[in-house]
Amino acid sequence: MRYDVDVGGRVRQATLARAGDGFAISVDGRSYHVDAVRIDAYTLSLVVDSVSHQSYEITVAPGTGAGQLTVTVNGTPVTVGLNVHRSRSQKDDSDKSASGPQRLAASMPGKIVRVLVKTGDMVRARQPLVVVEAMKMENEMRAGRDGTVAEVHALEGHSVEAGALLLVIQ
Amino acid sequence: MKKILIANRGEIAVRVIRACRDMGLSSVAVYSECDRTALHVRYADQAVPVGPSPPRESYLRIDRLIDAAKKSGADAVHPGYGFLAENPAFASAVRDAGLTFIGPTPHAIETMGSKTAARLAATRAGVPVVPGTADPLGNEVPDDKIQALARTIGYPLLVKAVAGGGGKGMRTVADAAELSSAVRAARSEAGASFGDASVYLERRLTRPRHIEVQLLGDAHGTVTPFVERECSIQRRHQKVVEETPSLAVTPALREAITSAAAAVARSVGYTNAGTVEFLLDEDGRFYFLEMNTRLQVEHPITEMVTGVDLVQWQIRIARGEPLTLDPAALVRPRGHAIECRVYAEDPDNNFLPSPGRILALRPPAGPGVRDDSGVTAGLDVPIFYDPMISKLVAWAEDRPSAIARMRRALDEYLIAGIKTTVPFFRWLLEQPAFQSGTFHTTFLDEILEARNGRPFVEPAPEIEAIAVVAASVLAALPSVATGNGAVPEPAPSPLRPQWRVQARVEGLR
Repeated sequence: MRYDVDVGGRVRQATLARAGDGFAISVDGRSYHVDAVRIDAYTLSLVVDSVSHQSYEITVAPGTGAGQLTVTVNGTPVTVGLNVHRSRSQKDDSDKSASGPQRLAASMPGKIVRVLVKTGDMVRARQPLVVVEAMKMENEMRAGRDGTVAEVHALEGHSVEAGALLLVIQ
Repeated sequence: MKKILIANRGEIAVRVIRACRDMGLSSVAVYSECDRTALHVRYADQAVPVGPSPPRESYLRIDRLIDAAKKSGADAVHPGYGFLAENPAFASAVRDAGLTFIGPTPHAIETMGSKTAARLAATRAGVPVVPGTADPLGNEVPDDKIQALARTIGYPLLVKAVAGGGGKGMRTVADAAELSSAVRAARSEAGASFGDASVYLERRLTRPRHIEVQLLGDAHGTVTPFVERECSIQRRHQKVVEETPSLAVTPALREAITSAAAAVARSVGYTNAGTVEFLLDEDGRFYFLEMNTRLQVEHPITEMVTGVDLVQWQIRIARGEPLTLDPAALVRPRGHAIECRVYAEDPDNNFLPSPGRILALRPPAGPGVRDDSGVTAGLDVPIFYDPMISKLVAWAEDRPSAIARMRRALDEYLIAGIKTTVPFFRWLLEQPAFQSGTFHTTFLDEILEARNGRPFVEPAPEIEAIAVVAASVLAALPSVATGNGAVPEPAPSPLRPQWRVQARVEGLR
């Protein structure tokens, strides 16, 4: 079997075949012989022969984006996209890159306490834009970069779900 | 006293239930709608629903809590921390219902609950306070008067909620131009959090340490202080790491600061567990900050270095027993203890709460490790409450060993489904200033700012490759969802036949 696995925006080519009790896996040309045991629904134990019998404890949980998984390797979380990679344009909404619109989305369910900007405002990177209250704390959502507020969807006093679009910066 | 109702939830409710069990007492949990499955409900002997999930409709409803205590046959109430723990009306209501309140008197709570009244009490006890305004500044106090008061105190200063705590309703002000908006913000947050929008002004010391003294007072006039706790590692005024003893406290300073703490407590006839907080200035002088009239989140580190069970003593004091602890032993720490407050927060997204379902969880254990947790796998971390999921404590013979042990415990902490602050703690423990102990209350905010958003989680190439390997293995299983972000279901049959797994286990014996 062949997979395209997206790790941090970089697509890794993987192939997998059963080999004895385990799997023969190659990642970008490097081969691993893997003994894999499922511990529970979300936990795997891997012993990788080709890396001198290194033991890895793995947990797997759905990631924040569609098609994403959070694969935690010995305590270090890695976000991977398991779906076949379609195009390079599917970037994270909270992308802090220097160009293109920044779409600020609620990262958790909560209540909009204050909207500190309006359409047309010039904003600087890290400037507070919206204050969202969740879990008793007020949290400032800040601009990822300099720009102009193009759209404001957040309404003071309204509750929002995680992922709700709050505003767009051009 | 036979049965104790715990008017709280989460890890602290579990902690108190454990003390009840240790002492052969029955326990009664209370729970809101979303907490039906919570660990404290499952641990307790009895569990009583007290209303909908928002705290105001359940854990803050005095009438329902008293009703639950009566209905369940409890004869005492432990408030935990947070919620109603420092609400004198609750302590009074418990007493008026003929029940024992496991905590100080309503009078002591009220005096120390008002930060301005507490400052006055400390001054009367001969303990210095940070320069600031003597009286509360309510909504009616006009801007120009606050500006004038601020000029007499000097900048930078802090605007703090009179009824505050935990960094809520607090703002730092660098100059006069920022004052009015800071007062407005602090009042708004204080009003929402404490139902009292009054604030006061206090000079902001530059680079102080936060040192606090745990104490116990019995009903017979004995007050005994414990070795200090160092709580300077704070993010936006919220403690995130605590340790004891403090590297900054000499034996002479320990003697002075624990005596001052006891003097403040005695001046209000304090009973039960409490903590006096101080700021320690760079010049070695200390100032009374406030007194917390409850069990503190970070109480386990004191327990680790003194061997005293503070919750059991809270119960014994409430039963009228005299303190029989050796005061000299309580200020002689055995080894060193560190606590990390593990939060369901995403450190790589500005520490925003990360509520959700815990899919897998294996907390650290083993020598010198204590995990006071309120959650298990399968539980949701609700959005309604504080997102702290556990307090991870490491004890060892000395500070470097305690740090090493904490590092080991953090590496053992296996959790899936939510993001936590564990990766942040791993980074923090490696910081030279943390390891040398040369920090102050704004140290963490400063080094976080200097990181400029650099991620805490930067997987090494090898770890990324293994993640790809693991993802490939998972993809080979038919039950894995690949396109819609759905949870991978448990495999209908194990990855390999069960007998082979068994054979492997047998082979290891």
